[in-house]
Amino acid sequence: MLTTWVRTLIVQASWNYDRMVGIGVAYAMEPLLRDLPGGKTNGRYAAALKRVAGFFNAHPYLTGMAAGALARVEYDGVPEAQADRLRRALIGPLGSVGDQLIWAGWLPLSMAVGLIVAVLASVPAGVVAFLILYNVVHLGLRSWGLAAGWRAGVGVAGELAGRVIHGGLRFGAAAAPFSLGVALPLVASWLLQDFGDSERVGAAVVGSLGLLLARVLAPTLSGVRLGLLFLGAAILAGWLWQ
Amino acid sequence: MTDGFWWLLLWGTVAGLDLVSAGQVMVGRPLVAGTLAGMLTGDAAAGAMVGMTLELFALELLPVGGARYPDYGPAAVAGAATAAGVPGVLGLGPAIAVALVVGYLGERTVQLVRRGNSEDARRNRIGLDAGDPACLGRVHGRGMLRDGIRALLVTLFGLALAAVVRRWLPLDLRGAVLVGTVAVGAAFAVAAAGALRLAGRGAARGWLAAGLVAGAAWVLAQ
Repeated sequence: MLTTWVRTLIVQASWNYDRMVGIGVAYAMEPLLRDLPGGKTNGRYAAALKRVAGFFNAHPYLTGMAAGALARVEYDGVPEAQADRLRRALIGPLGSVGDQLIWAGWLPLSMAVGLIVAVLASVPAGVVAFLILYNVVHLGLRSWGLAAGWRAGVGVAGELAGRVIHGGLRFGAAAAPFSLGVALPLVASWLLQDFGDSERVGAAVVGSLGLLLARVLAPTLSGVRLGLLFLGAAILAGWLWQ
Repeated sequence: MTDGFWWLLLWGTVAGLDLVSAGQVMVGRPLVAGTLAGMLTGDAAAGAMVGMTLELFALELLPVGGARYPDYGPAAVAGAATAAGVPGVLGLGPAIAVALVVGYLGERTVQLVRRGNSEDARRNRIGLDAGDPACLGRVHGRGMLRDGIRALLVTLFGLALAAVVRRWLPLDLRGAVLVGTVAVGAAFAVAAAGALRLAGRGAARGWLAAGLVAGAAWVLAQ
């Protein structure tokens, strides 16, 4: 179980467009399958690896849940067709729940807290606060997911529908935007503290124009492209201004 | 050569690997990568400022599934190397410009690695479809190696670009302040757009507004 958990930390190393995270999940669950009766000679060992190493996608932090559940059904002797149906059924929920819970909830929330601490205390303190806060939930979710998948097997969907996940989704949907809202003015005041008044007004003008462009031209004009466009123009203007 | 070059190269590679392949414990976030890179160059304040600014760019991203996203870890390291030792805010604009170029390059190279992984999987289809654990391990390991080399090369390019910009960027004092001002403005535009997209149209937008009011009140109270 520990080896599988460690392997889930590198589950996306072979991410590709054909199989997405399938190879990584198969690689992660392989140690769990070694204890099948007969070990590697058990026909289900290779069949399970082949199945999972095909197309599979999930949020990386919940791949342990998939690995646990898909390994468990092999131990439980679930018919292979049903095991394959479970694999396909997990793809959507493990992706969307993870994305909402982590990428749209916990990551922006903990980063906002880190930024607030950085402004109010010190930047290194903000970094430490962010890393601890974020990873307590991140690593906890990986551990819980693997254990829950292994425990539930074919009934893993019930674990995903549990109160903890639902509570986390509801909390993140409110707390993430609120904390980002608090952080943005604080970071603005911190970053602009060494600029003069005219530069502050200039930054506000650039920010408003950029926000307008970003809203109108999204998703074509991503943040990095908008930044490159604005900074390229500013460097050119600064060079001509000399 | 930039002070602490080898440490910066190592740190940028680790931060680049953290983006997708290894851990995703978020040491590759610009706030983290930039702050530590600043310490490695001996100018913690410059690294912190680059990290904070670049983090605003990164806030717009939700790294879902196979989405394309800039590699801001090596970018923050290159940005911190650009700004190190430059007084006040004068290094901020050029540093963010360098970081965005490196981040964009990182985004493109992630696509190359994914295509390389696809090719590798196709070449090893027989072993993978036979459920061969050794073949699985080799394909997976090569994916990790590919991404490690990618992160190393992106960081190397970033540090080289930082050295070039520090030496030859044709900006005087006014120009440097102008570029810094635009960098901060653009960063807030991107962060605000990201926050609005995150909040969507429902009650979450109300929470975002409430947060903005609370944050602004806090700033004004100071």
